[in-house]
Amino acid sequence: MDFAQILANGVVLGALYACLAVGFSLVWGVLNVINMLHGSFIILGGYLTYFAWQMFGIHPLIMLPIVAAFLFVVGYALQAIFINKVVTAPVLVTLTLTFGLDMILYNLMTVYFSATPRQVTLGLGSIQLFGVYLPVVRLLGMALALLLTGLLYVTLRGSRIGRAIVAVRMDRSAAALMGIRVNRIYAITFGIGALMAGAAGALFAMVFPITTNLSGVFLGKAFVVCVIGGLGSVPGALVGGLALGIIESFSGVLLGPQHALTVGFLVMLLLLIVRPTGLVGVKGYE
Amino acid sequence: MPELLRIAGLTAGYGDVQVLWGIDLDVREGEIVAIVGSNGAGKTTLLRTISGLVGARAGSILFEGREISKAGPDEVLAAGIAHVPEGRRLFKGLSVKDNLLLGAYLRRDKAEIQNDLDYVFDLFPRLKERHSQDATTMSGGEQQMCAIARGIMSRPRLLMIDELSLGLAPALIERLSEGLKAINGNGLTILLVEQDVMTAFELASRAFVVETGRIAKAGETVVLADDPAIRQAYLGV
Ligand SMILES: Nc1ncnc2c1ncn2[C@@H]1O[C@H](COP(=O)(O)OP(=O)(O)O)[C@@H](O)[C@H]1O
Ligand SMILES: [Mg+2]
Repeated sequence: MDFAQILANGVVLGALYACLAVGFSLVWGVLNVINMLHGSFIILGGYLTYFAWQMFGIHPLIMLPIVAAFLFVVGYALQAIFINKVVTAPVLVTLTLTFGLDMILYNLMTVYFSATPRQVTLGLGSIQLFGVYLPVVRLLGMALALLLTGLLYVTLRGSRIGRAIVAVRMDRSAAALMGIRVNRIYAITFGIGALMAGAAGALFAMVFPITTNLSGVFLGKAFVVCVIGGLGSVPGALVGGLALGIIESFSGVLLGPQHALTVGFLVMLLLLIVRPTGLVGVKGYE
Repeated sequence: MPELLRIAGLTAGYGDVQVLWGIDLDVREGEIVAIVGSNGAGKTTLLRTISGLVGARAGSILFEGREISKAGPDEVLAAGIAHVPEGRRLFKGLSVKDNLLLGAYLRRDKAEIQNDLDYVFDLFPRLKERHSQDATTMSGGEQQMCAIARGIMSRPRLLMIDELSLGLAPALIERLSEGLKAINGNGLTILLVEQDVMTAFELASRAFVVETGRIAKAGETVVLADDPAIRQAYLGV
């Protein structure tokens, strides 16, 4: 395979990784919660999209906003009911809590959806550009992943709620003095994290077969993307996602697909040693 | 002048530590009132209790006749009390303008918010010049201007400022004092916490002296300034 093709595959994958990781990164950055549920949120989004398409013939692009809204509600409720109770506790406590919640969600999904790999097949064909072969559905997935990530960025930078999220992240008690209800912003932030996961899941289901077994893999990827790009920022997730996609694409071809994941983790470890703030670094916002 | 704030028998603290031991204090509309006292006396805790960041244990806080001692910070702000915290506490990574807009977080009147932005930019032109700069990269004096302006952006009836002059050069304190007088001249009541008693007495018409969580003295600043005990303890003469 030639260089341009491998790069293009990497960029498509990377855009999906950015979208997959950005919600995880936001929740970690703002709430200081490592959300172990994130991988299962992605699977849930993917399965809902798949079953809506398979059982009722609903187009994934119509399901995308529905799944996103549903996951927002799920995330908001989980935060408001459970996680806000312990959100100021040390990170290990919230990690344990989300880990427990994840076991429940994961097992429920395995029971009701089974672990069979599922993929929406839209059959949109493919196009060839400068000798690079690109399935249309992947281009679509990439474009939507970038669009959603961009929308999140614009929301955080330019909206009232986005300012409140950043304010809470920077200084909780000063934010309270602005009249911001901190617990509500936590719930909204967690909801947005779940929303982005659900949307990423819907996009993944259009491009790759997904199964509940991938929940841990997706969580791991979100983690790697955050560390490579820099924690808690949208540009960090974007850079980290693209970097991981390209790294995996090249190492998959050069060393074999079974090593792609390992190389990603190795790069993460290397970065942790030489540049712990990630490629973009933590500028302290978004 | 009608009474705006009346605090009676207020006690508060942190965990096992009681800090306020029965505070009585009143602020009338249109006044600048100072709270002075040495480090650790409980001035910041008093403001934090008024604004709902710290829970009141006993006593009452009446604002425009309404009991607010049980209210949360958002309700206190909505009632009309803005709190400019000690150390400015501007939001890092956000521009001056975004910081100011956060001051107006509870408001929905877009056009009026824009008017108030113009008003604070008039008051502190430095902020206008730097409106797109990260607020925490400005000098201490500019940050204090921004913090005060952010407080004003909620359109409060009472503005509480904790440590106006701390760490600032005399020329800047002068500039900020002028700003406060102008704001007060436009009708905003101010409750000022200040370690520098000279500055406080210059600005305020009345003052309360806090010592270990109690009001040790209160009165007109012109009278307090001649009090031998106060002159010795706080004015160094
Ligand atoms: N968050 C806190 N937890 C425990 N004690 C505190 C806290 N904040 C302040 N204190 C204590 O309360 C007392 C009053 O502090 P403070 O209100 O900050 O005084 P001031 O503003 O007059 O310097 C001090 O003894 C201080 O150590
Ligand atoms: Mg203080």
